[in-house]
Amino acid sequence: MITQMQVKGLMFDPYNNAYIVILRDEDQSEMLPIWVGKSEAGAISLALENVSPPRPMTHDFMKAYLDAVNAKVISIVVTDLNENTYFAKIHLTYEDSEYTIDSRPSDAIALALRSQAPIFVNESVIKKQSTEEFDQWLENLKPEDFGKLDS
Amino acid sequence: MSEPTPQSAEPLIELTVDRVVEDSTTDTRIVVLSRTDGQTERFMIWIGAAEGESIRRALDTAVTPRPMSHDLIKHFGEHLGVTVPRVVLTDVKSSTYFATVYLENKGVTRTIDARPSDAIALALRCHTPIYVTQDVWRRRSGQNLDAWLSKLETKNIGAQEV
Repeated sequence: MITQMQVKGLMFDPYNNAYIVILRDEDQSEMLPIWVGKSEAGAISLALENVSPPRPMTHDFMKAYLDAVNAKVISIVVTDLNENTYFAKIHLTYEDSEYTIDSRPSDAIALALRSQAPIFVNESVIKKQSTEEFDQWLENLKPEDFGKLDS
Repeated sequence: MSEPTPQSAEPLIELTVDRVVEDSTTDTRIVVLSRTDGQTERFMIWIGAAEGESIRRALDTAVTPRPMSHDLIKHFGEHLGVTVPRVVLTDVKSSTYFATVYLENKGVTRTIDARPSDAIALALRCHTPIYVTQDVWRRRSGQNLDAWLSKLETKNIGAQEV
């Protein structure tokens, strides 16, 4: 089973000097935090805010590459969580065939946002995610750390 | 988008990537390119840290546990049967360099606009030749920066060991 989720926001994690992408399902009952690097967070943020930089950034280039050959992103799926590493798959159609390509979730999400493609998460990932760890992380969070959360 | 850019009559100059140098004062990287025809002058382009590290990983043929962004683009090509016959540094405007990436599939060539950093990061992974036009080569910056560069590299020796 897979659940469709949307990117609800991006937060800075001052403890790990990283960023967290917050995915939520439509009825707001499930949430999935995904830790990503600075440049990947930048790529997601530009797409969330609909900013077109003067020169194509890496994921704009990725999208242009697929557009140039008429390949289309149909969906992306966050498929697995293994020792705090998330795995994702990008589903493409190209010349009437479907292709599935292994990816990091950050690249998959940055590309999905630019392609208006839906983001899915395997239910096993939502169950498996260490909520304990995230709860503990949340407890340590100060109010000012919430500045970056989009609502 | 589907038409290759017209070629100027002058032949293109082929470049190879020498190395990536850290410019720690600005948290950027400098990619140093040299000509394959043996001429010693070099070509330098200032690029972002993430793109610089991506090029460095390709030079080192480093394998990461998960595919990084440019590895993913390479994998698209492998799955879809698209090759990258060449990338060309085509223009420079107010110190910003422009590149064109050529894609080939079933005999059809298409071109896409790219930053040189993405073009080079992909070219190294696909064993694609990198070219610069004679015009851009003539207008390149940093023609006498070799001494400055070696100073920068000495200063950054510690920072380069990752």
